[in-house]
Amino acid sequence: MNFDLSSEQQLLQDSVQRFVKDNYSLEARIAITDVEPGFNKAHWKTIAELGWLALPFAEADGGFGGGPIETMLLMEAFGKGLVVEPYLASIVLGGGAMRRGAPKALNDMILPGVIDGTRQLAFGYAEEQARFDLEDVVTTARADGTGFVLNGTKSVVQNAATADHIVVSARTSGGQADRDGISLFLIDAKAEGVERDNYPTVDGLRASEVKLTNVRVGRDRLIGEVGKGFGILQAVANDAILALSAEAVGAMEILYKDTVDYTQQRQQFGHPLAEFQVLQHRMVEMFMEYEQCKSLLFRATLESAQGAATAQRTIHALKHLIGKAGIFIAENAVQLHGGMGMTEELRVGHYFKRMLVIDAQFGNADHHLQQFAA
Amino acid sequence: MDIDLSADDLAFRTDVREFLTRNAYKPGTDYMAWRSEWFTKAAAKGGWDVPKWPKAFGGPGWTPTQHYIWEQETATAALPFDMPFGVGMLAPILMGYGSKEQQERFMPDIRARRINWCQGYSEPGAGSDLASLKTKAELSADGKTYTVNGTKIWTTAAHMADWIFCLTRTSDTGKRQEGITFLLFPMKQPGIEVKPIITLGGSHTVNMVHITNVKVPVENRIGEEGQGWTYAKGLLQHERTGLAGISRSLVALEKLKEQAGSIKRGNGSLMDDPAFRAKVAALEVDLMALEFTELRSLAAASAGGALGPESSIMKLKGTEIQQRIAKLTVEAGGIYSAGWGHPVGPKFARNGMAGYLSSRAYTIYGGASEVQKDVIAKNVLGIKSGKK
Repeated sequence: MNFDLSSEQQLLQDSVQRFVKDNYSLEARIAITDVEPGFNKAHWKTIAELGWLALPFAEADGGFGGGPIETMLLMEAFGKGLVVEPYLASIVLGGGAMRRGAPKALNDMILPGVIDGTRQLAFGYAEEQARFDLEDVVTTARADGTGFVLNGTKSVVQNAATADHIVVSARTSGGQADRDGISLFLIDAKAEGVERDNYPTVDGLRASEVKLTNVRVGRDRLIGEVGKGFGILQAVANDAILALSAEAVGAMEILYKDTVDYTQQRQQFGHPLAEFQVLQHRMVEMFMEYEQCKSLLFRATLESAQGAATAQRTIHALKHLIGKAGIFIAENAVQLHGGMGMTEELRVGHYFKRMLVIDAQFGNADHHLQQFAA
Repeated sequence: MDIDLSADDLAFRTDVREFLTRNAYKPGTDYMAWRSEWFTKAAAKGGWDVPKWPKAFGGPGWTPTQHYIWEQETATAALPFDMPFGVGMLAPILMGYGSKEQQERFMPDIRARRINWCQGYSEPGAGSDLASLKTKAELSADGKTYTVNGTKIWTTAAHMADWIFCLTRTSDTGKRQEGITFLLFPMKQPGIEVKPIITLGGSHTVNMVHITNVKVPVENRIGEEGQGWTYAKGLLQHERTGLAGISRSLVALEKLKEQAGSIKRGNGSLMDDPAFRAKVAALEVDLMALEFTELRSLAAASAGGALGPESSIMKLKGTEIQQRIAKLTVEAGGIYSAGWGHPVGPKFARNGMAGYLSSRAYTIYGGASEVQKDVIAKNVLGIKSGKK
């Protein structure tokens, strides 16, 4: 047991941190998110050239064979700058489903482009009535001749507007909330019957409502076995929770440290705000919650890397704590920044927004506490 | 980064389990004889009687992983009763600041648990603000003997102690932290009066200690005169880490879940009550995180020799968790928790409120939570202390 990074991991962490430092000032980020497509194509190319898009894929698929630890290091550094390039959507989510369940021929066709950054993926798993339940799927896939016909609407699909392909969950059999009977398909974003209603989310990212009307897909676009997609769905969701939690931990570090810095500069009543004990104690609480989140992130990530039987439960614990502590830290960062915290001029508000969205993605704090206690 | 146990670690775990099983107490036998034999046998394993001591002083020199394994394995085993004052608190000070003569004189008895120590820090006028302590030690003209006068309070186990390690004031001029001197003296002597203090839970663990004209030879002084604060401060960090009580909380939480699961509610148990269940779950999440905070802290300590910033949060979070468990135990016991020393109701509920009341001391002793936060703000966040 140890918490040291290997030299390769250290190198990765250093280079991602350098990328964020060089490219992600608040002004630079706002310039990116203010215009379509909501990310910087040159950054995406750089990220591809640095090899980060290849991280989690097997060497046989042209990847680096990295695991949860490598993704954690990358996402934590991304979180410090609130990086908006669609790494989560294309690599962790879409790519995660592909590498777990797509037939070799399909991976051979799609993954090289995903890894070199010329193709992007999105992952449509949520539906309006489902709230946070992955198994609640009413989108249907009806077998028809050599393929399937899909009908339904997938909600808040991140990066669907720029994705070339979207992985969607659809029901091939069973009742609305059955785990059995869910199948995953790779559809072309521009296929006939795919309608995208694109919009920004509060954190500056992009999402879409993806409406599927008699969308025809071939059997060769099936990811995993017919009716057995739930296992892949859940594994991808777990990866997403680990990645989002790492991003959140990076963002929390900025939030509490910015608050400590700001309150030491800002003078009121003839003193720097940081000298007031009531504020000091609040900042200590923010720091403690950050450290606890980091500890649980390590635990969940290392248990996942090990394939431990406890990993699923620890992931629920992690998402609960990240949601609860992340919003606690963000609310207090804004409070301690006073009126300035409410403006778009300082970083904290932007981190607050991202923290809100992270809590709502893949199940919020309450949802995961219930799952944890189940 | 990994949490795999190496073959050596697994062998160590087997060794620990075997040792604990082989040397478990057999009910009905002489407890004190077993206790002293247990420590002898643990010593023969290569310092298992003093797991946290460094190798140079006879400790086992374990890796962080081995410490973690020891904690896990001993959490559920009934170890012999032990007080932290000698082995855990005075010994590190002797190792760091005591003379060779003092180490040779005191450490064997500490290690063998032959001498019981107590800690004379707090005073009626010096609680969280420890540096304001007033117990006076005056050096005789020939420079050979101190005369000590004053009152110590909240002195745990003073009524069972043979010796006390005591912070005294030798100077009133200059910075108040610089006039404090660290002295050792016997408790069983004229001039020392121990008065019990009964706390809210009904138990007698702490005392008031009056010290009147007690003579202490200068060779019982640790380090230099006026430097006692520095010596004591270094130790507090370790004491506070120890007070987190993570292993104990893990066991207590399991017990709580088992008990709540045995309480019938409708078709299920109290654990099916959503409100109760959510509180238990949130508590468990915090404890799971704190377990890894401790591991990170151990790893940092073994790499750099010093405790990492993570360690500063352990006393705060750990004691809060202990109190939450005590409170949920009261909730689980319902009205039977109100019983005061009389065996009625479900067994676990007995004295529930008394236990919870006792737990309220956890966030007061060893540096109140508010003082801990001041310390973290200053030492970890780097904020200079100022206006309150």
